[in-house]
Amino acid sequence: MSERAEPYLYTLPAVLLIAALLLAPLLIGLSYAFRDITLLDPGSGGFVGLEHFRELYADPSFWNALRNTVTWTAASVALQFGLGLVLALLLSRPFRARGLVQLLVFLPWAVPSFLSALNWAWLFNPVVGPLPHWFASVGLMSAPENLLADPKHALWGPIAANVWWGIPFFAITLLAALQSIPRDLYEAAAIDGAGPWRRFRSITLPYLAPTMAITILLRTVWIANFADLIVVMTKGGPADSTQILSSYIFTQAFQRLDFGYASAIAAVLLMLLLAYAALLVLLRHFLNTRN
Amino acid sequence: MAKCLPRLACLPFAVCLLFTACLPPAAANADTTLKLVEVLTSPERTDTLKGLVGDFEKQNPGVHVEITSLAWSSAFEKFATMASAGDTPDVVELPDRWLSLYAGNGMLQSLEPYLAHWSETSRLTERALQAARAVDATAYVLPYGLYLRAMFYNKALFRQAGIAAPPATMVEFLKVAQKISALPGKSGYCLRGGPGGLNAWIMFGAAMAGNNAFFKSDGSSTFADADWIKGTAWLVNLYQDRLAPQDSVNWGFNEVVAGFYSGTCAMVDQDPDALIAIAQRMKAEDFGVTSIPKGPAGKAYPTLGYAGWSIFKSSTHKDLAWKLIQVLDDPRGNLRWNERVGALPIYQGAEKAPLYSDSRFKGWFAELADNDEVPTFMPTDLPGFAYFADSLVVRTSQQALLGQISPEEMNRQWAGYLTKARNKQLERARHE
Repeated sequence: MSERAEPYLYTLPAVLLIAALLLAPLLIGLSYAFRDITLLDPGSGGFVGLEHFRELYADPSFWNALRNTVTWTAASVALQFGLGLVLALLLSRPFRARGLVQLLVFLPWAVPSFLSALNWAWLFNPVVGPLPHWFASVGLMSAPENLLADPKHALWGPIAANVWWGIPFFAITLLAALQSIPRDLYEAAAIDGAGPWRRFRSITLPYLAPTMAITILLRTVWIANFADLIVVMTKGGPADSTQILSSYIFTQAFQRLDFGYASAIAAVLLMLLLAYAALLVLLRHFLNTRN
Repeated sequence: MAKCLPRLACLPFAVCLLFTACLPPAAANADTTLKLVEVLTSPERTDTLKGLVGDFEKQNPGVHVEITSLAWSSAFEKFATMASAGDTPDVVELPDRWLSLYAGNGMLQSLEPYLAHWSETSRLTERALQAARAVDATAYVLPYGLYLRAMFYNKALFRQAGIAAPPATMVEFLKVAQKISALPGKSGYCLRGGPGGLNAWIMFGAAMAGNNAFFKSDGSSTFADADWIKGTAWLVNLYQDRLAPQDSVNWGFNEVVAGFYSGTCAMVDQDPDALIAIAQRMKAEDFGVTSIPKGPAGKAYPTLGYAGWSIFKSSTHKDLAWKLIQVLDDPRGNLRWNERVGALPIYQGAEKAPLYSDSRFKGWFAELADNDEVPTFMPTDLPGFAYFADSLVVRTSQQALLGQISPEEMNRQWAGYLTKARNKQLERARHE
């Protein structure tokens, strides 16, 4: 008996540490969702059951933020991934001054997110920025106006900043994965008569698939929680048209000091992201077993 | 410790205690340390504060003051988290809109016993005392200055548009805004549609209504009244008629001030503290300060805000903390402080000081001297005012400006929230 328990005893300190540092705060945070927790209110703290979730269900701002979160995340990840993949493919073949170009491509990643948000906010400003004038002269806008003040399209401002800022992440990771594909596979395929598209589909894609799955998973979770750019560029406005769940959580927790309600929104976001991660893991498992 | 409510929020504090307990004592006979938190931080202000605190330390050997400077943009959440974790300072710089939260929860020390024996109390203006006693008619804060709204106007743009004098009424204001907006690339009014925009909604709403009472005797809000709606609709129309820049729907403090000194828009309602940024970038002859335009009843209601110093009830050195506030806020210290901060004085006769006799302050003293300009405290004493002003008003007013909801709907939502908050406040007062 004691021999069977021995290995578990060795892992016990690590397990305890992880539980104390990761699980305990998570569970405490989740428990707030079922309690009436308002900061600095001596009368709060009671158990309210599912009250917050009922309130959430009837809260149009929550549904609006959820819709915006989906648009924000899907558009940002898709564009970052697509453009990052193209860049990685271009950079994987040798050409003159490749080192320099690689360096320049990776530069946005090194810019602090607050700074890039400010830069983009200025770019969209018709008084000092060029973008509204370009949009107007190619006919995208009827007059050079600030995209960030237009409730229908304002979300695309932070998305543009996010895409610019996040492309290097995909380019770096996909480039590293590309360079680990053995060159002779391509040569053999070329000798067998495979064209560039066929080589991409049958060699590059299957080799990249695991990296793609894990980077897309990571970035999706990351971007869904990433409110810096939005907070700096629009503060969720105008009229909540760029409010996403994580910025809405911040508003509820720190402007209304309602930690209970904020935790309930956070719990919903957590469940959605967990479901998404499970789906992606299953998909990867399915692809792996099929091969 | 029993006071910090989410009990686990006490944890970080407990851990800190544990760690400091493990450290060797810094000095054998630890001197007294006072903790001071400033929240409307800027580098120059912190230097002035350090100078004043240095005087205090010289007068009280062995006492050390530890200053914590919070950036205003995140001060509310940082200080709320600190306070609820039990990490309260002895003295805090308290803006009006925080007063109901901390005083209402019984966390602040009443300053009445100190004021009763202070030689300078009798020199404070009535308004300063009224501000100090905004919650429960008890002085929980000693203001260091008042922030009165006035209208800055760009004289160069006025000349260009052929306008001789600044507008005195809302009708004239609209005409001037139309003339300026006819200039290419210019707008009449620097509208503040983002955070901090509530002041203008209140000023124009009250001027149209000819009344600055926020509540009726039964505790219901006046915002839903037809006259107030007329005022907010007036401002919505002004934006929709393009008399304000199109992106001003998102503008906050920095944007309206930058919009004004860059000449994008010709008029902005601001407090005297904006003078510092504007005077640095505009020639003195190119801008002026005038009173807030009057409504149909011949009256205007410029908003009046304030910030000051408070002592936390949990402080173990309350008398020393009061001594520190005396140094910061006695006529000499207060003048030195306001030279940097740019707020209006709290002492009678202080307008004769060289700082305030500067012609740039003339606009505010003229406004104060005009009986039809009624300085108006916003209902910052209501529970939940911060959320109302910084979140609900920003969202709904942007919706109204963009035409997604009508001004009636916006005012109805405001009235609904404020009536509830008012009833909560009245109920609490009945219990005590």
